[in-house]
Formats: sequence, C-alpha cells, structure tokens
Amino acid sequence: MAMNLDRRNFLGLAGLGVGAAALAACGGPSTSGSAASTSPSDIDFTGVKPAGSFDFWTSHPGQSQAVEQSIIDKFQAKFPDIKVNLVTAGANYEEIAQKFQTSQAAKSALPGLVVLSDVWWFRYYTNGNIIPLDGLIKQLDVKIDDFQKSLVADYQYANKQWALPYGRSTPLFYYNKDHFKAAGLPDRAPKTWQEFAEWAPKLQASSGAKYAYIYPALAGYAGWTLQNNLWGWGGSWSNGWTFNCDSTESVTALQWAQDSIYKDKWAGVSSKNAADDFSAGITSTTISSTGDLLGVLKSAKFNVGVGFLPGGPKAETNVCPTGGAGLGIPSGVSKEVQLAAATFLKFMTEPENTAAFSAATGYMPTRVSADMTAVLAKTPQIKTAMDQLAVTKVQDNARVFLPGADQEMAKAAAKILTQQGDVKATMTDLKATLEGIYTKDVKPKLKAS
Amino acid sequence: MTRQLTGSPAAPAQALPALQRRGRWSGRTRRDFFVFLALALPNLALIAVFTYLPLINNMYYSTLDWTLGSTSATVVGLDNYVTFFTSSDAPQVLGTTLIFTVVTVGGSMVLGLLVALALNAKVRGTTFARSAAFAPYVLSGVGVGLVWLFIFDPGYGVLSWLLRGIGQQSPQWINDPQLSLVMVIIVYVWKNLGYCAVVYLAGLQSLPKDVMEAASLDGANGFRRFMSISVPLLSPTTFFLLITTMISSLQAFDLIRIMTPLGNGTSTLIYEAYLQAFGAYNRAGYSAAISVVLFAILLIITVLQLRFVERKVHYS
Repeated sequence: MAMNLDRRNFLGLAGLGVGAAALAACGGPSTSGSAASTSPSDIDFTGVKPAGSFDFWTSHPGQSQAVEQSIIDKFQAKFPDIKVNLVTAGANYEEIAQKFQTSQAAKSALPGLVVLSDVWWFRYYTNGNIIPLDGLIKQLDVKIDDFQKSLVADYQYANKQWALPYGRSTPLFYYNKDHFKAAGLPDRAPKTWQEFAEWAPKLQASSGAKYAYIYPALAGYAGWTLQNNLWGWGGSWSNGWTFNCDSTESVTALQWAQDSIYKDKWAGVSSKNAADDFSAGITSTTISSTGDLLGVLKSAKFNVGVGFLPGGPKAETNVCPTGGAGLGIPSGVSKEVQLAAATFLKFMTEPENTAAFSAATGYMPTRVSADMTAVLAKTPQIKTAMDQLAVTKVQDNARVFLPGADQEMAKAAAKILTQQGDVKATMTDLKATLEGIYTKDVKPKLKAS
Repeated sequence: MTRQLTGSPAAPAQALPALQRRGRWSGRTRRDFFVFLALALPNLALIAVFTYLPLINNMYYSTLDWTLGSTSATVVGLDNYVTFFTSSDAPQVLGTTLIFTVVTVGGSMVLGLLVALALNAKVRGTTFARSAAFAPYVLSGVGVGLVWLFIFDPGYGVLSWLLRGIGQQSPQWINDPQLSLVMVIIVYVWKNLGYCAVVYLAGLQSLPKDVMEAASLDGANGFRRFMSISVPLLSPTTFFLLITTMISSLQAFDLIRIMTPLGNGTSTLIYEAYLQAFGAYNRAGYSAAISVVLFAILLIITVLQLRFVERKVHYS
C-alpha cells in the first residue's frame, strides 16, 4: 500500500491534474466575459419561416393538460405545418424551472415555449434565457391592448415585454358557507382581518372544525399570500429595492398572524395544502389560489363561498397580489422555432382559448374581450376572481425578483408561525438575507442590463 | 499507458514493471494484457465518464460564481468555500448532517441486528418475516415518503387520528423543523433497517456452531455468548454495514425531497447542495463547493474507517 512519490510520479500526477482541470474547463459556462446578461435588441424575423415543430413545456397549471391538448388540436387544424409537442416538464413551477435551467446549462433540448412563473421569469431575463416578445407581437399582430393590463404589465422590464400572461391567478378567500350559517355570520368574506378576528371564536364554537382559518402551507408560496397581511397593515417585504420587512408595520402584521395561532388559538398553518385542508373540513376558511377553485368546488362536501382577500387596519382594499404563470420564448432556440412558438402563443392567448382555459382550471381569463358568459353560468365563483383583479397590486420586488427570496420568506414565516419565534428578530434577519441576495445576485446584473 | 497500469491492482498489470525492465513482453503476457484491456476498459471508460469526469467538473465549478442557467460565470477561486464555512447556514447544515447520519446509521444497525436475531430463530413463519423485513428497503423512496407523509399529517393523518383517539393533539411533524428531522429519520430507519437485518442475518448464520456449543458447555448464557462471541465474530459484517450505511445516509435524498421539500430543519449537505443549485437559488458554483465538502467528508470517513476501525475487525 505504501506509495513512493518520486519526481516522475509527481510530474505525472501534476500533468494529470492540469489535464483534468483543462478538461473540466471545456464544459460549463464561459468565464471569459461578464456574468451579466444584456438585453437583446428587437430580433428581426423578416423572411423567417416558422419551424415544422417545437416543444411546449408546461406543468399543466390547474390540471390543465386536457384543455392544453384540446387547444393544441385546434391550433394544428388551423396551422397544419406547425406541430406542437406538449411536454410535461414538471409537476409545478419549480420543477419546470429546474428542468429549464438545467437545459440552459446543458445547452440542449430547449423548448420553443415554456411556462414561467411570477418568481422565475425575471431570472430568465437577467440570465439572457428568454427573448423580448415586442418584435413578434408586432409582426404577428398580437392584440396586446386587449390583455388585462395589470397581468401583461407584470412581464415588462427595461421597456420590453418578456412574456405573456397564461395561467394567471390571485389568492382568493375561501369560506365554508355551512359553517358561516351555523355561526350566524353573514354569507360573505370578511372585509378586514379585524372583522374576521371577531367572527373566528363564533366559527370555532359552532363549526366543529379544528381551525377557523388556516394559513397556507409554508412550502407553498407563503411569501405570496402573506403579502396580503403585510399590505393590510401598511407593511411589505420590500418597497422598490428597499427591503423593509422589518418595519414596524410589517412586524405588527406578522405579530398579529402569530397571535392568531398562539394567543387567540383560532388559526393554524397548513402542513401540505390549505385548499385540501379546507375541502376536508379541517378549517372553516383559508386563502388559496384561484387555480384551486375548481378542485375545491369538486372535492368539498359543503357549500363553498369565495370572496376578496380581507384588508387590514391600514388598507382595506388593494391588498391582493397577482400571481401565476406566463409563457415565454427561450433565446437558445432558432428563429424558426421562436416564430413557430410565437404563432402558437398568439393562438393560445386568443379570447376564446383563454376563456376555455379559464373554464377548465379556474384561472383568470387574460383577455378583456374573452366571452365568459358560459363559463360564469357554470362556475359563478370565477366572477369574484375576475372582479378582484381590479383591486390587485403588483407584488413586492423582493419576492418576485430576488432568487431564493420566496424560500427565505417561507423559512422566516415558519419561524414565526410554527415555532413562535421573535417576529422582529426574524424579520431583521430576513432583511439582511434579502439585501445580501440583492447585492450579490441581482444588482450587478441590473447595472449591466 | 503502461505507466498508468503499473499502479493498477489487477494481477496482469502487476507483472508489467518487471517485464518493462527487461524491455520485452512475452507472447502470453501480451495476450493477457489485451484480455485485461478488453475486460477492464469498458468499465473504466464508464467510470471515468460518469464518475470521475463529473467529479473533476464539479471541483472546477466550485471555483466559479455561476448562476445555473447563465452561460457565463466568474472565476472566484475559493470564495464559495469561504462563504459556506463563514455563513450561518454551515453549522446548521453540518449539524443536521451529523445528527441525521449518526442516528440513521446507529438506528438502522442496532435495530437491524435485533431484527436479525429475531429472524434467526427457528420458528414458523420466519421466511415470510424475512421478506417482510426486507421489503421496505426495495420500495421506492418517493412512494414511501408520500405514504408516511399521509401518516404523519397533523390534519388528517393516521397518526393524528390515533392520537385524537386518546385525547392528544398531533405534533406539527411537517411544519416544525426539529420534528421534521425526527420524522424523516424515523422513516429512513424504517426503510433501511431491513437491509441491515438481512446482512446481519447472513452473518449470524455463518457463525461457527462449534464455538457456540463450546461456550454453552463452559456455562456461558445466551447474552454472554452474544456479547463475547457473536458480536466480535460479526465485526466484519458490522464494519461493512458501517461503511455502506454511512455513505447511504450521507447521500440520502429522496425521502428528504418528498417529505420536506424546503429542507426546513432537514437540510443535510447533499440536500443543501441540491437546494442551492436546483432549488430557488440557482447558485451552481456555491452548490458545487458544498458537494466538494461532502465528497471530502466521505473520503475522510472512509479512509479513517479503513485505517482505524478495520483493525478491530476479526476476520476469523
């Protein structure tokens, strides 16, 4: 076993090491230039013919595989020369992002069109992974003015449009009408959390449910729904690029949330999925995505009511964040594929198709002119989500633009809501973490772009 | 080529230095050498491409500030290592890794030995019991994780239902980071103790009966025979299990991924490496540095085990 390392052995090993390092350097990213991306100027598609086929990567938001396939079938009847391959690229937004990022690293097998969520598209933009759609919108005459303004504005940055809205949602307040009736409460969502705090003991006393309200699972986008509490108390995760999650308002909001669990004992935190807990009758109310609406209506064995998100002491309205996913076109595929994908993107987001998608999933129609009469006749609750759109607010930069911020927010929320951690200290730590992410991962790229 | 082969443990290769010194190969040696190449090269090529090349690549990536998905990166030397070891996450991740590894290895081996002793008894139904004990080991980790998640769910899980039956509230297994770690450890040990049990059972069945009979004649009771004869003679099995279960525990992923996707309280080194690169952060370079730390720890543990623990092993 003894090894004598003479000069020749040493040189041999050194050569092997250098060779290995050189071999390693052959793969992976380029280290010759800046890590920051630059915004590509408008791409000229003049004279480009659409490719014969492309992959459409989706996670089928809202269990939409069947409706996606039916829209594809309609598209291919109209455009027989463009074949759309529907690819299940993950079970949720995170899995599809993982696959997309990995394909970017491998520089292969990229799709023509990809579903990108509210917290992922900006990263694709800073990495130069997606193209601006402005040129294609103009060339294909996409009626951009007919899209819901707040939804289309979510994907604008540096004066360019980086994606179009697709499975777009907001959180909704879900309540068990039977429980409300038994408690002698009005058949509506509470206007404010203070009003609900008065209702909660009555609900608990009469419903038999474990909780009057259950906070959404922390692994399921806690940073998204907690914006409602923060905004209602006049706080936020961030204001522009200023991270103020440790402000008095933000801390008061989350202290109130903690008290609802540990002091007043009428609230809990979902372990896996608040919509499932609600459907199972564990709680009388919850907040969940509009994308869960049809699933809840199908599985709940009681009368389901939905309403706007409650406000707080500082803001009674405009306390609902937008959310959900859009569709973007990768930069790493040929112009022919990009054009074919854009042709399908235009078709997919046309009024009748967005109405069909909405009817099948509960997501909001993204087009103003979408005829929702038949859909609303069948599922009138969707109207609440559509009406709430007028009082939604763009999400805090910290949540949607900082990589990993959503995860950090979920960890902070877990400390506060499941371990009764000190709210001020937790939010101060979170602020430092968010500032660190911004300084290291975002700020340098913003300067360069 | 021949210089590399001189270091190989393969028998034909050991003969090569002497032949080289003589400056010629006999026909038979040449034929043996080609047979050796034909048999070993495909495997060596596969190991090189799928194990050593990614390992070297990973070490290189650990020196980069690279966001996964970006086509460019900056060379930062050892910055990623410095960031990891000076971050507040490092003690937590290393501590979680240590607790998870020690408890799962210890739990699987001790319980596996107890199960093996029970399965070694000559009673009816042991064949079925052996199959039942081993079955969880071959089940998919994803499936096991999902089923146990349902059992532990504080809202409508089976455990919660049982606890309510005796007037108790279910603990927050999924939301409380400390209980999450306990939950994952319980499931991991349940899934893997069958492996230890089967290996120990094979060891128990190969123990020399004459030694046991002699000890019985000398008046040693069952416990004394177990502690003074079985345990020392099982030391090669224990040593083998110690190495394999420790490596498996340090590489445990599927149960953690399924049961605690955020890794809140359960982020071991390997899961932290996954979260940093493929989770929400996309810090590929930083993740590669954590992977290298894990590799170094595995290497050190294995070398220490081979160097020190093996000395206490009785092979006969």
